[in-house]
Amino acid sequence: MSNWQPYQQGHLDPDFAFREHIFAQFRQAAQRQSQAGPMNSSTSTATAKHAFEARLRDTKTPKNDINALILDYLTMEGYPGAAANFSKEANLAPQQEDPSIKTRQQIQHAIHSGDIETAITALNALDPDILDKNPELHFSLLRLQLVELIRQCNGGDIAPALDFATQQVAPRASMNEQFRTDLERAMSLLFFDHNTKLSPELQDLLSSDLRRRTATKVNEAVLVRQDQRREAAIRALVRMRAWAESSARSSKKKDLPSDIDIGLSDAVEFQELTETNGHEPMITT
Amino acid sequence: MTNPYQQSQQSQHGAAASNFTRRTSYASVVSGSQQQQQQQQPASRSSALGFSHILDPNPDTDLDTHNPYYPELDRLTPHYPNFTRINPPAFLAAGMDMDAGYTSQNNGNGYNNNNTSSGPWPPPARLGSNFPMSRAFDMFLNKEPLNFPDATDVDNATHTGAGAGANPFLSGGGTPNFLAPSYLRGTSYLSKLEEQHRARILADRERETGVMGPKAQTRAGGLATNGNSHHTLSPMAGKVHAGGGSHRGVAFDVVEKSALSQGLAEEEVSPLPSKWNKDDRETSLELSADGYEVTFTGRMSSDHEASAARADHHMNPACGVYYFEITVLNKKKSSANDDMPPIAIGFSSQMAALNRAPGWEPESWGYHGDDGNCFAAQNVGKAYGPKFGPKDTVGCLVNFRLGQALFTKNGKELKMAFRDINFKDCKAGKLFPMIGLKKTGDHIWANFGQQPFMFDIDNYMRKQQKMIEDEISRIDTRILAPDLSETELIQQLVLQFLQHDGYVETARAFAKEIHAEKTALRLDPKETIKGINIKDDEDANNRQRIRRAILEGEIDRGMRLTEQCYPHVLKENEQVYFKLRCRKFIEMICKEAEMNLKLEERNRKLEEQRRKRGLGDNDEEMQDEWDDEREFYILQLGKLSEEVLEYGQELRGEFSSDPRRETAKHLDDIFSLIAYANPLQVPEVSHLLDGKGRVAVAEELNSAILTSLGKSSRAALENVYAQTSVLLEDLAKDGGPGAFVTLEGIFRQIPPSQLL
Repeated sequence: MSNWQPYQQGHLDPDFAFREHIFAQFRQAAQRQSQAGPMNSSTSTATAKHAFEARLRDTKTPKNDINALILDYLTMEGYPGAAANFSKEANLAPQQEDPSIKTRQQIQHAIHSGDIETAITALNALDPDILDKNPELHFSLLRLQLVELIRQCNGGDIAPALDFATQQVAPRASMNEQFRTDLERAMSLLFFDHNTKLSPELQDLLSSDLRRRTATKVNEAVLVRQDQRREAAIRALVRMRAWAESSARSSKKKDLPSDIDIGLSDAVEFQELTETNGHEPMITT
Repeated sequence: MTNPYQQSQQSQHGAAASNFTRRTSYASVVSGSQQQQQQQQPASRSSALGFSHILDPNPDTDLDTHNPYYPELDRLTPHYPNFTRINPPAFLAAGMDMDAGYTSQNNGNGYNNNNTSSGPWPPPARLGSNFPMSRAFDMFLNKEPLNFPDATDVDNATHTGAGAGANPFLSGGGTPNFLAPSYLRGTSYLSKLEEQHRARILADRERETGVMGPKAQTRAGGLATNGNSHHTLSPMAGKVHAGGGSHRGVAFDVVEKSALSQGLAEEEVSPLPSKWNKDDRETSLELSADGYEVTFTGRMSSDHEASAARADHHMNPACGVYYFEITVLNKKKSSANDDMPPIAIGFSSQMAALNRAPGWEPESWGYHGDDGNCFAAQNVGKAYGPKFGPKDTVGCLVNFRLGQALFTKNGKELKMAFRDINFKDCKAGKLFPMIGLKKTGDHIWANFGQQPFMFDIDNYMRKQQKMIEDEISRIDTRILAPDLSETELIQQLVLQFLQHDGYVETARAFAKEIHAEKTALRLDPKETIKGINIKDDEDANNRQRIRRAILEGEIDRGMRLTEQCYPHVLKENEQVYFKLRCRKFIEMICKEAEMNLKLEERNRKLEEQRRKRGLGDNDEEMQDEWDDEREFYILQLGKLSEEVLEYGQELRGEFSSDPRRETAKHLDDIFSLIAYANPLQVPEVSHLLDGKGRVAVAEELNSAILTSLGKSSRAALENVYAQTSVLLEDLAKDGGPGAFVTLEGIFRQIPPSQLL
C-alpha cells in the first residue's frame, strides 16, 4: 500500500521517495542541532511568535462572515441606528425589521436609565405574557426598581421605597428563598449611607452594572420569546478566543508566543477615536 | 427555449429553499425539491439524460422517511420508510430492533434542529447533484454531452456515506466515495478530510483533462469549480485551518500560497479507518464484502493464540472521539450449549502481535465475547460486561480527550472499560481498530461509519461538545483586555472594525448609540459622558465610496475612483487588478443572463395569455406588438453578447502572457460561462456569478489600499478570528478539546444574510 501511494500522488520519479527520505533526515539533524545549541528563551519565543504569525497570515478571515457577525451583533444587542447604516454600507439585507430592534432598544434604554416602570409597561405592551412566564425576570426588574427608589431617597424620605417593597416586591418574594434573600439585601440599603464603604454585595446592587445586567437579561428573554437566539454570535467568538488561549496555555502547548495581541490597543487606529472635548483616547466610563 | 412548465418549477425551488432554515440547508432542500419535481413530473425520471440517475429515484414524499444520506441504498431499495429495511445485510434482518434506535431519533430530531451538524441525520450536501433545470438544458447537453456525473461527484462524494467498498484514498478509478460518519460531521477533522478529498479529486481531474483536447480542458476546468468555496489547485493547497473556510462560501477564491506557507503547511490529515487491512491481519483470517467482513478459516488455535486483524488506517486523535462497531455473524449453535464464541474487539498499535487477541499484548486493549472480560495489555482480564455472540452488535468507543475507552452492546453503553490511557505514551504511536477471532465459524462484519451505528454515538458526541461549550461560556474575557468588561470589549472591537474598514456612517451611528447608552447608565446626572468623535476621515470616505461602487457591480467606477485616490494601488497589486478585471467580465455575463431571463419571462407570459384567450383573431395584433418588443430585447442581447466577447478577448490578450497557473485557470473558469445560455440557472457555474464575489473583490481591494496607507490590513476583530482559528487547530491535535468545537459552529447560528 505504501509503495504505491507516491505513485498515486503523481510522483512517478522513483528517486523521489529516496530524496524525500534524505531531506527528512537532514531536517531532523538540523533540528537536533538547533535544539542542542545554546538558545536563550527570547530567541525561542521570537521564533514561536514568528511561526504563529505566519500561520495567522495564512488563515483566511472571510469578510462575508465578519460582516454577518457585525450585523448580527448590532441587531441582537439593539443598536438600530448602526444596524440600519451597516446594512446600507455593507449592502446587506437587515436581519430583523427596524421596529423590532428599536422596541428592544427602547426597553433597554429605559432600564439603563433606571426607569423601570417605563420598561415594564413597554415590555407588557410588546409581549403580555413575558413577565408571567419568567417570574425570575420579573423579580429582577422589581428589585432593580426598588434599588432605584432607594437610591433616589438616599438620606431623605424612605416612604416610597418602603411602600413599593411591601406592596409590590414582598408578595412575590415570599414564595422563593432566593427572592427573599435578594429582597432583604436590597432593603438593607436603606440603613446605610451609600457614600460610606459598603460590602461588595451591596456595592454591586448600587452599581450601574446591575442595570446593564438586568437590561441584558430582559433583551435575551425577549429574543427567546421571539424564537431567536439568546445572544449575538460575536460573544461566542470572543469567548472562544479567550478560552482557546487559556486552554492552550494551561496544556502547555509549545510554540505559543508569550502574548497574543488582538491589536485593539494599536495606537494607529485608535488615534482616530479622539474625544470631542478632551484628549483622552477612547471611551471612558 | 424552455417550456413554461419548467419555469414554474424553478420558482418552486426558490420557495422551497427560502422556507428552510440554515440548519437544514443544502441537501434537505435539494432532496425535498427533487421530490417535488418528481412528484409532479414523474416522467422526468425516465428521461434519457445522462445524469438522470443522480436524481433521487425514491418517490417518497415524506422528508423524514427519506434517506438523503445513503442515496445508493435508496436506489437499491426504493421504498424503504426507515433504516431497518434500508440496509439489510441478511444477518441484521432478524430480531434486531433497529427501528427504535434510528427512526425515533430521526423524527425527534427532525431537520430543524439547531444543533451543530452532529445530529443523527445532519444536512447532507448534495448540491452538486441538484440539477433542477436539467431538462431545460437538453439542447446543450444533447449537442455536447457534458460529463455531469463526473462533475457532481465532488460534492456528491463528500457527503454520502461510503458505499460498498469504496475507499476514496486508495481507489484509483471509479467514483470515489467519502466516508463521513454522522457523529463527526461538522468537526474540523472531518472538514479537513473533506477538503483533502476534494483537492484530490480536482487534482485527478486536472490530470485527466490534460490528455483531452483544449476545448474539453476549458470546460472541465469550469466544471471542476462546481460548488467549491475553496478552489484548491493541488493537494498541497488543500490545506485548511480549522474554521478557516467561510460557510458562506466565497464565490471564487483562488488559493494563493506563498512558498513560505507551503513550507509551513502541515502534513495531510490521516483518513478514517474504512475497512480491515488485508496486509495487517493474521493469515488464517479471510476478508470479504469489500473488507468489512472477517472470517476465521484456519484451524482452531491454541488457547493462548488468536487471529487478529487491524483496520487500514489508525484512529486519528484529532477526531476527539472515535467509534466503530462489529456484528457477530456466527451461526447460532443448535445445541443448548450457549457458550459464546471467543471473539474480541478492541484497538492496538502495530506493535501488538497479530496472533494474539486484542488486549493480551502491550499497546493493545480489548473486550472478549466468550467471558465478557476486558483486557488492557495483559493476559489477565477483569470482569467487565456481558458476553456477546451471534447477532450481537458490539461497539468500541475511544475518547482521546479524556484518555478513556468503553464498549457498547446492541446499542447500549457499557461502563467505562479503560481510563487514564496515555495515548502519547504509545511507542508505536498510532492505534488501530482491531478484531480477534479464534474458532472455525467465527465471522464478523464491521461498521466503520459507512452506515448508521446501533449505538447513539451522535448523542455521546453532542454531550462531549456540550461540555466544551459550557466551559467556553464560563470563560472570563478579561484575559484579552484586562480593563474592559465583555460588553465593552465587544463594543470596542466592533467600533474599531467599522472604522478600520471604512464604514463611516455606521461607525458614527454606533458611537452615538454607545454614548446614549453610557449616558443612560450614569448614576450621577451631573456627570458628563464624553462622546466619541468619529473624525471625518477622508481615507475612510474614499474607501467606502470605492467599496460601494464595487458592491453595486460598477467595477469600472470602482477602479476609476481607486486610480484617482490611490494611483499606485492597482499597479502594485496585480492580483487585485486581475480580479477586478475578471469581475467586470462576470458582471457583464450577469447582465446578459438577466436579460435572457426577462426575455423568457415575456415569452412565457405571452404563451399563457394566448392559451387563456384561445386563438382569437386579434391575436395577430398582439403578436406584432410582441414581436417588436422581442426584437428590441434580442437586439440588446446581441449588443451585450458582442461586448462580452470583445471584453473577453481583451482580457485574454492582457493576461494570456501571465505565467501563473491560477491566472490561466481562473480565466478558463470565467470564460466557460459563455458556454451556457443562462449560467444563472446552472448550479455548476452559477456560484461564479454570485453577488458574494463582489464582496470578496471589494474587500481585497480595501485591504490593498489599507496596506498601501501603512495600516494593518486586518481589524482587531479579524485578528480575533484568525487567532482563534489557529489556536483551535493546536488544541485539536492529540484529541484535545479543540476537536469538539469549531468557528463554523458559531457562524452557522447566524441567520443567513442576504446581499442587497
